[in-house]
Amino acid sequence: MGELKTVFWLTLKEKRDVALAVVFGFLAGLAGVALLGASGYLISKAALTAQMTTLVVMAASLKLFGFAAAITRYAERLFSHRATFTMLGHLRSSFFERLAPLAPGIFQRHQSGDLLSRIVGDVESLQNFLLRVLYPPIVVGMALVATVFFTSFYSLPMALVVLAGAIFVVVILPAFFALRRRKKTHVTGETRGEFAAASAEFLYGFKDLKIHLALDQKSSELQETAHRYEQAQQNEGLEENRVQSVNALVAFLASFFVLATGAYFVSIGELSGLYLAMLVMVSLGAFENVGPLAALPAYYEESRIAARRLEEVVEGKPDDSTGAMPEGPVDIRVDQLSYRYPNDSRLSLDEVSFQLPQGSKTAIVGPSGSGKSTLLQLMLKVALPEGGEIRFGDEVLNSMRPENVWARMNVVLQENHFFSGTIESNLRIANEQADAEQLHEALELVHLGHMELSAPVYEKGRNLSGGEKQRLAMARAFLKGERLWLLDEPFSSVDGITAQSIYSELFTRHPQDTFVIISHDLAGLESMDRILVLENGRLIEQGDYQQLMDRRGYFYELKKIEEQVFV
Amino acid sequence: MGSLKQMAYSQNNHIRLLFLASLAKGLAMIGQAVFFVWVADSVFLKSASFEEVLPLLAALLAVIVLRAGASYAVGRLGVTLSIEARRSLRRELIASYKENPLQGSIAGQSGRKVGLLLEAVDDTDGYFNKYIPQMIQSYTIPLMLLGVIFYLNWTTGLIILITAPFIPLFMAIVGKRTKQKADEKVEQLAGFSGAFLDVLQGLTTLRLFGQAKRQGDTIRENSLKFRDSTMDVLKSAFLSSLTLEYISMLSIGIIALEIGLRLVVFDSITFFPAFLVMLLVPDFFNLLKEFGSAFHTARGSAASAELLSEELAKSHQPVVWGESPVDAPIELALEQVGFQYGEGFQLEATSFKLHGGSSIALVGASGSGKSTLMNVMAGLLPATSGRILINGLPREQVSEDEWFGQLSYITQDPYLFTGTIKENIELGANRVVAQQELIVAAQKAGILELIESLPEGFETVIGEAGRGLSGGEKQRLVLARAFLKKPALLFFDEPTAGLDLHTEQVLQKAIEELSKEATVITIAHRLHTIRSASRIIVLDAGRVEAIGTHEELMDSFSSYRSMIEAQQGGKQAWVN
Repeated sequence: MGELKTVFWLTLKEKRDVALAVVFGFLAGLAGVALLGASGYLISKAALTAQMTTLVVMAASLKLFGFAAAITRYAERLFSHRATFTMLGHLRSSFFERLAPLAPGIFQRHQSGDLLSRIVGDVESLQNFLLRVLYPPIVVGMALVATVFFTSFYSLPMALVVLAGAIFVVVILPAFFALRRRKKTHVTGETRGEFAAASAEFLYGFKDLKIHLALDQKSSELQETAHRYEQAQQNEGLEENRVQSVNALVAFLASFFVLATGAYFVSIGELSGLYLAMLVMVSLGAFENVGPLAALPAYYEESRIAARRLEEVVEGKPDDSTGAMPEGPVDIRVDQLSYRYPNDSRLSLDEVSFQLPQGSKTAIVGPSGSGKSTLLQLMLKVALPEGGEIRFGDEVLNSMRPENVWARMNVVLQENHFFSGTIESNLRIANEQADAEQLHEALELVHLGHMELSAPVYEKGRNLSGGEKQRLAMARAFLKGERLWLLDEPFSSVDGITAQSIYSELFTRHPQDTFVIISHDLAGLESMDRILVLENGRLIEQGDYQQLMDRRGYFYELKKIEEQVFV
Repeated sequence: MGSLKQMAYSQNNHIRLLFLASLAKGLAMIGQAVFFVWVADSVFLKSASFEEVLPLLAALLAVIVLRAGASYAVGRLGVTLSIEARRSLRRELIASYKENPLQGSIAGQSGRKVGLLLEAVDDTDGYFNKYIPQMIQSYTIPLMLLGVIFYLNWTTGLIILITAPFIPLFMAIVGKRTKQKADEKVEQLAGFSGAFLDVLQGLTTLRLFGQAKRQGDTIRENSLKFRDSTMDVLKSAFLSSLTLEYISMLSIGIIALEIGLRLVVFDSITFFPAFLVMLLVPDFFNLLKEFGSAFHTARGSAASAELLSEELAKSHQPVVWGESPVDAPIELALEQVGFQYGEGFQLEATSFKLHGGSSIALVGASGSGKSTLMNVMAGLLPATSGRILINGLPREQVSEDEWFGQLSYITQDPYLFTGTIKENIELGANRVVAQQELIVAAQKAGILELIESLPEGFETVIGEAGRGLSGGEKQRLVLARAFLKKPALLFFDEPTAGLDLHTEQVLQKAIEELSKEATVITIAHRLHTIRSASRIIVLDAGRVEAIGTHEELMDSFSSYRSMIEAQQGGKQAWVN
């Protein structure tokens, strides 16, 4: 239960709805029981007498209880669902509040791209916690206890039989099956993962498999993993069916023993036969509601796993350094910087050292995988170095609070997010005070002057082209108006001429600003103060364009290959 | 949904057993009510002793066990029916993927196809596991109950016959209204539920701009709006079950009144049948309502079923192969070969011949048809017109295994499989390989050093689940594959940029070495490669514009000349 503590408390925050749901659920259960009990009693009574009143009471009470049952059931559903959805809202925002301080570092640690959709799915699946785990045993249990209480007025032994059945159905069986389930529940998930991986491999690697004559073998392997997955699904389905059947059987048996006990006491004259049918009907009615309990073990296990996974995600300790970045323009000094990705034996950055004076314009180049982006991430304090340090002015980056660092930088990453909204709402993220004129100016700067500020932006900016997104991200950086620019391949999808003209406009407007630009190609580097060349995590050359070309070293070779490329 | 139904009914045995189990369940339900009333009647009105009712109790116990057993059987049959159906769906899908020649060449579809194989197939569970068993039960049990009720008291039966049809009728009316409501809100709902993901995805951006704090409130607000819209839809769904409840309640009320009148006023019925009828009638209505909810589940499966049958209905035109062996060197001739994909991309008919040991460079802008032409030549795509001759024989007569056994295909984005480095290299050979051969291949591909630096060497696990490799390392591993295979035919898609210098050099050398023995077809991006090719094919918008050597084209084909000149001007890198 430990894993579900947070969810539990968040659910209870909605006291009123939860309480109302429980009350109406209880009333619905009672009305159902009363309906059956009344019909049992009245039909017995009717068999004995010939009074018209019996008939009238019978018809009226059946109607009354029937309508009461239906209406309370309706109210119960309404309130329980309301409470659940409110709880989900609390859960989302409280989870977000814990996740936010860990980002973006957390996305580095979890390399799997589906982390986010998994989070969304897990939160979503927790809606079953109240509806199908927490609340059915309470409501069913209460109705059963009321039945025991009522029955005890007529026959204590029959009440005890109902009580025993209730304990069995509400406590023992769900607990037993939940435990049993915990032992094997991971099998389905595991085989599903294997099957998904095998399918992806089969489809993405299709061409290679075909050419290497491995298609038959792989497709039969895929069939086998599918088979294992289906086997696991089947076992799970059968187990569910077993739980359901046992549950139903126990409920029927409880009513059977109520009847047997009742019959015995009627036969020895200790109970009036008039009540027998009523009491048995009452117990039938009370046990009629236990159906949802059969699904409880499965949902409990599902909720538990979802809650645990969510906990694991936000388990990390946020960066609690408090230092601030020095005021004014700063020199950047990088000293013996090394970094290794988790679970990797190789260093991604290997003792890199360099200095960037304030106001300098630097490009970092190198083949993919050479450590360019890693270097930028360390400069942003998104990841912490394994060795060495970065200084802004005289302060060590390690001691600074990440927010304080970011607040002083204009950053464009390779992937920049655009929120569902408008161009304006997406630009304002950078600067809330900006007026329309400033926003227009920013758009003009990145050659998007034709865009309307009120134009809609869809989720993830999917109505924008790659180049538009990159230029809007640059406009955002511009609007932020800080003195230090960190840009990671900001124009990889923008044509060279436009990119170059945006750069030169920026450099002219902000001659005093420090620029660090990671570049995917080697063109247009002539205007940079210095170029750092990385390969395999090492800084192998630095200098300005002419120096590097004159050296006829690595940069020169790269340049030659690039000139050879014929697109 | 029609095709799902066919699939379900093709499992004759399961369906028959389902009918049997439902029959047993119906009998048990009736038996349970009968013995229950019998016991009550005996001790209450006939003052029987406990010993006298013991046999009745034993019989009651027996039918309770029978009922539970029959329910269990129905559930179990549902599960196995569903698993069988999904299994055969998957088998068909995998087979269809395997036969589809476009699979390897039309990119961007793989994710959707994985989704079909996993989610869409699993989504049909509701239909097979819930709807079908429920439907079969609805065919049998209510009829049995109705029969017994008619036998006991025909007027009750008559009332049921009149009132019961209102349930499906209202279910249809109310269900339609609910669906309408849901449709109205669907966009709004999707928007709200996507909002959380949107914020999560943008978390990095938000934090960099110092905006994360405010988003917590936005999320809560959106969640509450989501709740209210959802509740609107749910309210009408709950209201519909309330209506159904009322209808059945009303019918039961009328029946109770009728039974009561006969019992109290007219004395024309005794306690036994009266009580029995009163027990059976609610059961009857419950079954009808359950069928309604099962129908709802089935509708959820329908969308997935449609996607699946759409995918399975696609007809594939496979590449046709024969039996004849293929010997190196390979000579390839295209005679009026063209290709068309549906209404979309078209490669116009073209003819040329490729002598054994020669090399061809394919040149053209992206989207000009270079990859399509290469795939057609490699036998990965069928030619939709014309014919391809391999060593003088039409491709239809040549053995597929022999052909692919002779060729290697090196793409810009090579795919590595989950497994050891050794397994990945050996994929090229398709036979048992001596360690020494493996080492030589790795060395030629310039990756031996890296492999030996790994603690597990050739046994290091790579791919999805294993160690990540950089783009350059992947390329070299794939080259090792090719060195092991020693292809007579080499298809090569030159990388445009982004490799480290070392890999670039290794690639160049390796291609030269492999080309010594092989016929080579390259999608060329390097001037060097284009110049040294025996012949160059220039493509534009799906048409072969010119074929010739570098010199010939420089002389006679002006657009080629201007392309080359622009390149040599060194400013080409701007044009992406």
